Amino acid sequence: MSVSTRRLSKELTDIKNHGTPVGINLLSSDNFEEWFLSLEVLGETVYAGEVFCLRFRFDSQYPISSPAVQFVTDDKWKAPVHPHVYTNGHICASILGNEWSPVLSVIAVCVTLQSMLASCKKKELPPGNDRYVRHAPDNPKKTRFEYDDDTV
Amino acid sequence: MATEALQRQIQGKWQNSFARLNRDQQGITGLLGFSESWTLATDFLHPRDLNDPKANREWDMTQVRNAVETLSRSKMLPLLLENFLEEMRKQQYLITNDVNELMRQYENTEDIHHIARLIYRLLEWYRAWVPISELGHTILSAYTLTFQTHIYSTLPPSFSRGFKQLINATFDLAGTRTAPPWIPPTPAPLQSSLPIPRPDLPLWSSFEQLGMLDRYESLISSVCYEHIEAHILETCTRKWGERMLQPLREWMTNKIVPWMVMPYARGARTAEEARSMLQGVGSRFDFHVCKTLSDLRTREIFDIIIDFPDSQPALEDLKECLQRVDQRSQLVQTLRKANRKRLLHPGADTKDIIAQYVSIIRCLRLVDPPGVLLFKVADPIRRYLRERPDTIRCIVASLVGDGESGDSLVDENEPIQPLQQMQVEDYTDPSWEPEPIDAGPDFRTNKPSDVISTLVSIYDSKDLFVRELQVLLAQRLLAITDGNFDRERRNIEILKIRFGEAALQVCEVMLRDMTDSKRIDQHVQSQKNMILRPTIISRHFWPPLQAGKFTMPGQFKQIQDDYASEFHLFKPDKMLRWLPLLGTIHLEIELEDRTVPADVPPLEAAFIELFSQRDTWTVDELVASVGSVDRPAAIKALTTWVDLGVLKDEGGNRYRLLEVAEDGFSSSSGAPRPARIVEEVPAVLTVEQQQADQMKVYWKACFIEGMLTNLGMLPLDRIQTMLKFAPGYDRTVEQLGAFMEAARREGLVTASNGLWKLSKR
Amino acid sequence: MKVHVKNWHAIAQWRWDTGAADADDDGEGDVCGICRVPYEGCCPSCKMPGDDCPLIWGECSHVFHMHCLLQWIGTSSSKQQCPMDRRPWVTAERKVDRTNNAR
Repeated sequence: MSVSTRRLSKELTDIKNHGTPVGINLLSSDNFEEWFLSLEVLGETVYAGEVFCLRFRFDSQYPISSPAVQFVTDDKWKAPVHPHVYTNGHICASILGNEWSPVLSVIAVCVTLQSMLASCKKKELPPGNDRYVRHAPDNPKKTRFEYDDDTV
Repeated sequence: MATEALQRQIQGKWQNSFARLNRDQQGITGLLGFSESWTLATDFLHPRDLNDPKANREWDMTQVRNAVETLSRSKMLPLLLENFLEEMRKQQYLITNDVNELMRQYENTEDIHHIARLIYRLLEWYRAWVPISELGHTILSAYTLTFQTHIYSTLPPSFSRGFKQLINATFDLAGTRTAPPWIPPTPAPLQSSLPIPRPDLPLWSSFEQLGMLDRYESLISSVCYEHIEAHILETCTRKWGERMLQPLREWMTNKIVPWMVMPYARGARTAEEARSMLQGVGSRFDFHVCKTLSDLRTREIFDIIIDFPDSQPALEDLKECLQRVDQRSQLVQTLRKANRKRLLHPGADTKDIIAQYVSIIRCLRLVDPPGVLLFKVADPIRRYLRERPDTIRCIVASLVGDGESGDSLVDENEPIQPLQQMQVEDYTDPSWEPEPIDAGPDFRTNKPSDVISTLVSIYDSKDLFVRELQVLLAQRLLAITDGNFDRERRNIEILKIRFGEAALQVCEVMLRDMTDSKRIDQHVQSQKNMILRPTIISRHFWPPLQAGKFTMPGQFKQIQDDYASEFHLFKPDKMLRWLPLLGTIHLEIELEDRTVPADVPPLEAAFIELFSQRDTWTVDELVASVGSVDRPAAIKALTTWVDLGVLKDEGGNRYRLLEVAEDGFSSSSGAPRPARIVEEVPAVLTVEQQQADQMKVYWKACFIEGMLTNLGMLPLDRIQTMLKFAPGYDRTVEQLGAFMEAARREGLVTASNGLWKLSKR
Repeated sequence: MKVHVKNWHAIAQWRWDTGAADADDDGEGDVCGICRVPYEGCCPSCKMPGDDCPLIWGECSHVFHMHCLLQWIGTSSSKQQCPMDRRPWVTAERKVDRTNNAR
């Protein structure tokens, strides 16, 4: 059993026992390589009424190595319009990159992203969105983001 | 008015008749001769009375033949026959009288001698009345038919019984020369100058002449069938330790085949001819041997299985029989029924059920290697075992060769191998259906697997076994005080092969804790001699243990603290947490007039320590002094000391120390009581145990006890129905059954025929 | 009356002395933040708990399974920081020096 499997099964048990925070729901966790969670920002925000879907991809070194996290964009789901979220779903957030810590968890990531959206005052695309989207790798972890905003 | 033509016609006919009777002789001489011949012939043929000596007169056979010749030429034989048969009918009462008389004698005595006499007598009548051969075949067969029709209508129903008895008596006559007393002397007509091979030959000839072999054919073979059955029941019943089929076939060859020659091959001229005549019937009888033996073994199958492996030869016989006769479905039905009646009931111990199941597996594999029979029989047992709460525990106990359970289920000759994947039946599947009872042998490819794999496959997952194994191992290890757990280590090594190393990782940690404890203790003891020897275990790797929260008082606390600080010196980054309810303390209680030694659990020790501070305590005070302890546990601990004569129950929850023994417990008066080893509280909690505790409430609250007191005897399901009215009762009938069984072992109740009642106290 | 203890076989559990209050006695106990396995359990790469899978204390007072922390520190993305507070990781000599060790 790999390190990631043990850790993820613990997280899963935890979710099953204690549930998820408000606005966050586990959509699929059929294996220990890829999970999907829905994310909703409650209260009076620019995203009121919108539901997003987050895709987590784990390698066998999780949680030593960070998960690859992005918003799902397909027929059913759209990425939120946010200065740190590209239209292909890639997220520019430090905790997913150089600020990652192995004490974080799937739920912790979701909560952080939830508050990132909640604090957004105006729906705006990131600068250079089109250029990024055109050249973006499939896995957002391959992108080296410049984290210009320390709050996330 | 007759016309002329008619008259002419009559005239012509008369002329014809006359000419026939007169046989073209002069005048009416022919007619006279005919008349004479007729008289002579009818006189000769007249069925005479055997009992009348006068009737038996000498005949000039030439005259008789001439007369018959005359009648034949006159074409009057048919009329003669008609006349004869008519005469016979008039005389039949003579035979009827004899039949009635001899049958009456038989019925009074049940002596087959009278039947044999009757046979010979009938033959005498038959011979006496038989028409001479010159009269031709037609007359003879008409006579025989009339004769037989009469005797068969005369013979009463009891004759069949007598006849069967008679036939049955002939079995022992093959090879004998002296006639047994029940065979009457052979009547003259049957006597022969040649030596007869056996004394019953004349009897068989008589049967044949009287047409009895045909008429009673099925009766005769049924006698033989019954004879075979009786012999098999007598020689084979409960005789399972040796092969019987071959000896039976030898018995057939030596005893039955010679007998069969009489009814079935008497006419054979050569041995070869006899053999071919006997072939068909012989094969039927051999089939019957197999059928009878297979029926017997089928009836006995449950006990044969209990007796296994001593009964292996019986199973080999059964296997051979089943190849000849198809009684497989009967075997399945019978065994399933026996299992239901004798095995799968609440009164049976789970370990006995499992042991019998294992024997069934072994036995049926022997009888039917493809496993079709086993599958059909095993199915209800497996389902039943799943319902039992302690099945896994029992299987696991036998896996590790629990000494108490006697014979280990594991065959020592069976190689230890990893568990095999079985096709597990999913009974929860709504579309699951039992296999049709007549399913062919290929209905399920049943790989023979080892017994353990079969047992483990009762459940869908082996995790349950591993968990139970852990509990069992924990119980064993915690009870070890001499530091020797080689046996447990060896068992775990064996089980690793079966369950895989990963599954038993937890057990590995437990064993390592044992080793470490020993090593740590050696170190601590080398630093400071201590009377405390702890087993130090790893949290998270042992099953849930009896965790109580109480503090050992006085010197005990001091001993614990001393040890803990030595430990901390040795392992600076670790500390110890005591599990206060567990363990055993060997104490000596020094009193004014006596010293009482005792091996007790910690709570008992804690209480008595408190009594060294003060002579009298109430239960509540004691409980408050040590922390939180169940009241029943506290009472139990105090009772231990009361039983040892150290404390006295003063009533009102008050206990007093007896510095000086009271009568009966004094060391000076009477024999000192031996140190009692107090039964240790099982350290590891099982689910079953918790449920049993709860069940006791239903007993104590007088539900069950009261029920049985008022109603006498009750079946289990009735108790269950009534308990359902008790508040909070949610046990299954199986759990109730297990509880009642436990109550039976404690002697509270007895069970017979599925009815439970209170034991007489 | 005097009670003489001749012999005592007791059962005890060992605990890491983390200095934390021992209120959580019945629960799982504290877990390693990285693998989420209790301290007294073992990290995902170990099979035996205890001395074979020890804890490591940081001067920041955070505690992890040693193997978990070393694996993290071994990655470049850790920047040698404590996963909890992102302060540079400094392994503490020995933890709390308490006089009252035994409980």
